Amino acid sequence: MFKNVLSRLVTETVRSRRYAPNGPVIQRLIPASGPVRTFTDRKGEAQPQFDASLLDVLVCPLSKKPLRYDAETNELINEELGIAYPILDGIPNMIPQEARLIQKDSAETPTH
Amino acid sequence: MAASMRLLVRRAIRLSHKNITLTAAGAAARSDCCRGSLVCRCFSDEAEDRSTHFGFETVPETEKAKRVYKVFENVAQKYDIMNDAMSLGIHRMWKDTLLHVMHPQPGAQLLDVAGGTGDISFRFLDYIRSQEERQKRRVARSSQTPSWRDISNNYSTQDEPRESRAVVCDINKEMLKVGKQKADSLGVSAGLSWVVGDAEELPFDDDQFDIYTIAFGIRNVTHIDQALQEALRVLKPGGRFMCLEFSKVNNPILSRIYDAYSFQMIPVIGEVIAGDWKSYQYLVESIRKFPNQEEFKGMIEDAGFYCVKYYNLTGGVVALHSGFKL
Repeated sequence: MFKNVLSRLVTETVRSRRYAPNGPVIQRLIPASGPVRTFTDRKGEAQPQFDASLLDVLVCPLSKKPLRYDAETNELINEELGIAYPILDGIPNMIPQEARLIQKDSAETPTH
Repeated sequence: MAASMRLLVRRAIRLSHKNITLTAAGAAARSDCCRGSLVCRCFSDEAEDRSTHFGFETVPETEKAKRVYKVFENVAQKYDIMNDAMSLGIHRMWKDTLLHVMHPQPGAQLLDVAGGTGDISFRFLDYIRSQEERQKRRVARSSQTPSWRDISNNYSTQDEPRESRAVVCDINKEMLKVGKQKADSLGVSAGLSWVVGDAEELPFDDDQFDIYTIAFGIRNVTHIDQALQEALRVLKPGGRFMCLEFSKVNNPILSRIYDAYSFQMIPVIGEVIAGDWKSYQYLVESIRKFPNQEEFKGMIEDAGFYCVKYYNLTGGVVALHSGFKL
């Protein structure tokens, strides 16, 4: 059941990118890029995948500028202000107080 | 201090749009405000000297958000059960009414603020789905003998018009987690997104959504006018703001029964089912502190919405306010 939901989530991202007609789910999974690869890697864990179509509407609450999704640290990064918003359980946390300041050279320090 | 300046200046700017001359003091305030608003965005220390209500208590503004967070963190797991128990299932009717008044069309983009466990968003997606099915049936019926024009149209239309999407935004992670679990167990995830965000500072760009709803959430917001401003910002022109909230019961008899039920029964039910008397005490007190229908309508109009009207449900226990961004 869980796999069904996730595979549907993935088809939604794929579909929104490719505007492909309704086809069998399995065939679409393989040629898709980025997010699907991480999904198949972590199939063992119960880690839900962040929905990249959210990036269309999501902006930094402070500067209202678009964000970059960083797949390794699983965060949304605002380059200008140098802050990163964490994503927990596939849900991005856009509260400014909970964002992490990205220090260039020194160790990272949380803002709170 | 700076927060009130911001309010004043916003009003002043709006008045200036209506061709009323600003005094020199107003102009000075605006330049001050640019500095102040930047400070306000990053730090909210200025608000510490201001106080607001938390139920019948008076607390500093910074406190309120934290305490509200704790209330909902505690009740998150039992939230839906408690809703059914407290309102005797009537809350479902209120939410269904919201959807009927909203009457969303396929392709609509919804932002459900303080959406928590996702009740409104689920109903929205169901409604859209049934609308789409109805449309398909209508098309199927009428295309029994398609004209040459219909046939050529079917070849040329895009694959699908914009898919409707519901974004659930809540300041409380726990509530969203419960909502997401519900969605996963119902198998509803297409077109549904979850975001942790502050209603006073939404992480969305301008002119994004067709409909903004906030159901039983706005009385928990510390600065309601800021939340209304943000609502205006993220709505597309022509977009609709809809707010369900507990309000004032005008009928005196009903009011006495409602008060007795609220203060005697609800915290008890809260203690029995959720093991939390205080949270539900807060709930009923916060309802009393919230402005009544007309006052709230005035606040919505002040924020810049047009054609603001409200519908009283269940004799005024709940009011559905609606306004448009034009």
